[in-house]
Amino acid sequence: MEKNTSVRHADPRSQPSFASRRWWKGLLAGRSVGELALVYGLLAIVLVETLYPLFWVLSGSLKTKEEVIANVWGLPSGFVWQNYAEAWRVSGMGARILNSVIVTATALALLLVVATPAAYSLSRLKFRGRNIILALIVAAMLIPPQVMAIPLFMTARDLGLVNSRIGIALIHAASNLPLSIFILRSFFLSLPAELEDAARIDGASRLQILGRVMLPLIRPGLALVTIFGFIEIWNDFFLAFLLLRDPALQTIPLGLVAFFQQYGSMWNLYFAALAMTTLPVIIVFVLMQKQFIAGLTAGAVKS
Amino acid sequence: MFTRITRTIRRDDDATVAAFMLAPAAVLFALFFLWPFVRGLWISLTRWDGFSAPVFVGAANYMKLLGDRLFLGALENNLIFVVLILLFKNVLGLGLAILLDRAIFMRGPIRAAVFIPVTLSFAATGLLWSWIYNPVFGLLNAALDGLGLSGLKMSWLGDADIALYSIIAVDVWKWLGFHAVIYLAGLQTIPDELYEAARIDGAGAVRRFRHVTLPLMMPVILINVILGLSGAFVRNFDIVQVLTQGGPNHATEVVMTYMVKTAFQDGNMGYASAMGYALFLIVALSCVALLGIMRRSKVEM
Repeated sequence: MEKNTSVRHADPRSQPSFASRRWWKGLLAGRSVGELALVYGLLAIVLVETLYPLFWVLSGSLKTKEEVIANVWGLPSGFVWQNYAEAWRVSGMGARILNSVIVTATALALLLVVATPAAYSLSRLKFRGRNIILALIVAAMLIPPQVMAIPLFMTARDLGLVNSRIGIALIHAASNLPLSIFILRSFFLSLPAELEDAARIDGASRLQILGRVMLPLIRPGLALVTIFGFIEIWNDFFLAFLLLRDPALQTIPLGLVAFFQQYGSMWNLYFAALAMTTLPVIIVFVLMQKQFIAGLTAGAVKS
Repeated sequence: MFTRITRTIRRDDDATVAAFMLAPAAVLFALFFLWPFVRGLWISLTRWDGFSAPVFVGAANYMKLLGDRLFLGALENNLIFVVLILLFKNVLGLGLAILLDRAIFMRGPIRAAVFIPVTLSFAATGLLWSWIYNPVFGLLNAALDGLGLSGLKMSWLGDADIALYSIIAVDVWKWLGFHAVIYLAGLQTIPDELYEAARIDGAGAVRRFRHVTLPLMMPVILINVILGLSGAFVRNFDIVQVLTQGGPNHATEVVMTYMVKTAFQDGNMGYASAMGYALFLIVALSCVALLGIMRRSKVEM
């Protein structure tokens, strides 16, 4: 990814004809000062419109209720940390966070346990009907599950899965299944067949091969499925809106909206509730962004 | 001879193992995907409040859609949503990617920063923007005041003429980084020599973009549009629900929000299901049409 830059970097300096140029010309990597000024000027605008709203939430979460309105732009005059304690208490975010963790963890565990062997058998085993199943999975990827929200709700109701964290986790796992199987299958297909043949000659069963030989090798694929699934499920509003009617079972996105709609104008507390539920996700993303973006672009550009 | 025997045994073995390995996925998929899909088709052909016995009405629900002013309004909003979102996400995403590609320092951190909104939930994004758009202490009106443009101050979500566009802007804001990151990866696969050659031939920045970048990026652009298409149709419930709940006076109603209202406020499950499948049909037809256009334009290139 950074290869191009280094090439542009090195080129002018490595050629003798450029030796007479000033040293900092090399740093500009063949771009004119004017171009760089334009590029960074525009990037600065993009950064401000992306990051300032987030910074605004953070600073608003530390202001008093009056100061949020009186001082829209600036930093808080004093840090009102008790906004966080107050927001935590009033909004019941602790329970919502727990619900989100239960739903997301259950759904992701289920998704990985179910999708991995399915993807393995669809990539490595030969059996009748394999192509039909593959076609079905591709077709399912093209059907947005939102369009069948009503029958999905009815099915969940018949099975007693409305107002059930495990129920919504099952449905999340099912709706993420086609894409996950598809991604994992492409990772299995990229592994050399000899690996598996060698293990089979040693007398390993299919399950042993999957667990001991293949799983460690497709870890990047599992990570990709987990990342996609996590963003989808952790942030989900629609399914939770349909299926989690009981306030005690609501996840973070529902809880935030309910909190916002219930209480009059406690803006500073809303800001605090928003900050404490989104910041952890942003921090995890910033720490893992290299793997995250690499996985995303690998999938998109390859296909 | 021997190989054939072992092969049959293996294949047999494979089928059994595959059955076991596929069973959990099959159960999950059948229960929460296939069955609801088929059942929904049936529900859409009935009049049903969700509790009493459904009454078969044939295609009546679908015929009713054609004359339902609210549904057609929601569909129109939906189409505006889809077209503008695909346009802005891709044009701005490619533009941002080109900026990132031309930047030398801090490229990684800037790329990570513009990606942050992608990781936020629609609920959080929606609440954040409902404050930014707030007429009393909102950031946007305050910014316009600061720039001396007080005349442009508006009730961004309260004015029926602009509320839809305000929502579209939020969706573009949230996903811009996602598209930029993918376009950047595409741009970095274009070899520098091509630009170098074009420059030696005397091509300026605009012509280099037109004749080098754009043709080579076409496959990535098409993937982005195709991937975004079905999402642009159906992934707008959250943002509309949080920002305006379809108001003021249905000005921002989209098919998904109208469908949920029809089902859970009016208790009309059959009619709501029909909306879902009508939308699905429109999404499918648009995908086919887009693929057709793509194929034709590829031949021309």
